[in-house]
Amino acid sequence: MAEMQAFETDFWKDANLRKVWDDIVPGEPRKTIPYTLTREAIELYCRSVGETNPIYFDEAYAKTTRYGGLIAPPSIHILLMFSCTPVDDWMRSPGTVNAGQSWSYNIPARPNDVITLQARALDKFIKRERLFVVHDNVFFNQKGNVICSGRGWTIRPM
Amino acid sequence: MTTTFEKLKAGDAIDGPTFAVSRESIRLFCDASLDYNPLHLDDEYMKGNFGKTSFGGIIMHGMNNFGLISRMITDWAYPAGAIHRRLETRWVKPVRPGDTIQPSGIIKAKQVTEKSRWVMIDVVVKNQAGEKVATGEALVEFPRDLFCQ
Repeated sequence: MAEMQAFETDFWKDANLRKVWDDIVPGEPRKTIPYTLTREAIELYCRSVGETNPIYFDEAYAKTTRYGGLIAPPSIHILLMFSCTPVDDWMRSPGTVNAGQSWSYNIPARPNDVITLQARALDKFIKRERLFVVHDNVFFNQKGNVICSGRGWTIRPM
Repeated sequence: MTTTFEKLKAGDAIDGPTFAVSRESIRLFCDASLDYNPLHLDDEYMKGNFGKTSFGGIIMHGMNNFGLISRMITDWAYPAGAIHRRLETRWVKPVRPGDTIQPSGIIKAKQVTEKSRWVMIDVVVKNQAGEKVATGEALVEFPRDLFCQ
């Protein structure tokens, strides 16, 4: 299964397989892969931004909340963007600069959710000699419910 | 003091956590986000130019700002039974190892819709020099069936 393969941390490897700005077709779906979100991955993400809320760590506490169990922070889509895309996805191109993002949150992701992504470039343009691509993304859980949806602006490497 | 929709008013402030940025914190964010772009790892690479942009050294992930702002919003919203519904951000200045950053928010407006209640929040992240490194806005829902924790 693709999701069980070790994650390639060398973004230079396979760089030649990725689309450059000229190749990217707005509206064309990006290849994506399902990803099982683990409690460990949530806890590591929480640690990286200093999250301490027990709703992410303490199952007994989480059961007393409106969510009825452990959840991931809303911003877990930061991890999901890379865990749900393959090595030749152009978001991995070295030198990709993130200019800004907007995200809407529907329901939380939870430990053991099998998460899928529908994603595409939505637009591309040139501004002040920089090559921009707008991407939009929707993450779903295994029940087909929308977790969150978002749009981002990246400056492509030249 | 627990925040309530009724008591909130435009201009109210939300203070977020300070965050010390280091090579280690950036590396940890790489591992947690799986974003191993050399912008965040490779000093030699970062001596180069990126189209029209030059950074001069590794920089923190822009999305680390996003995660910190989101943490501030949820830590504020959860005890009030409110739900973080949206966050939009723009990066305005790179953040580097050695910087200390802090998000904050200002209530901009409240809105009641047919089925719920909403609070719009202007958010900003500043570095230790008081410079804005990220700006944006957040939307928090205060459902009528409040579930306070």
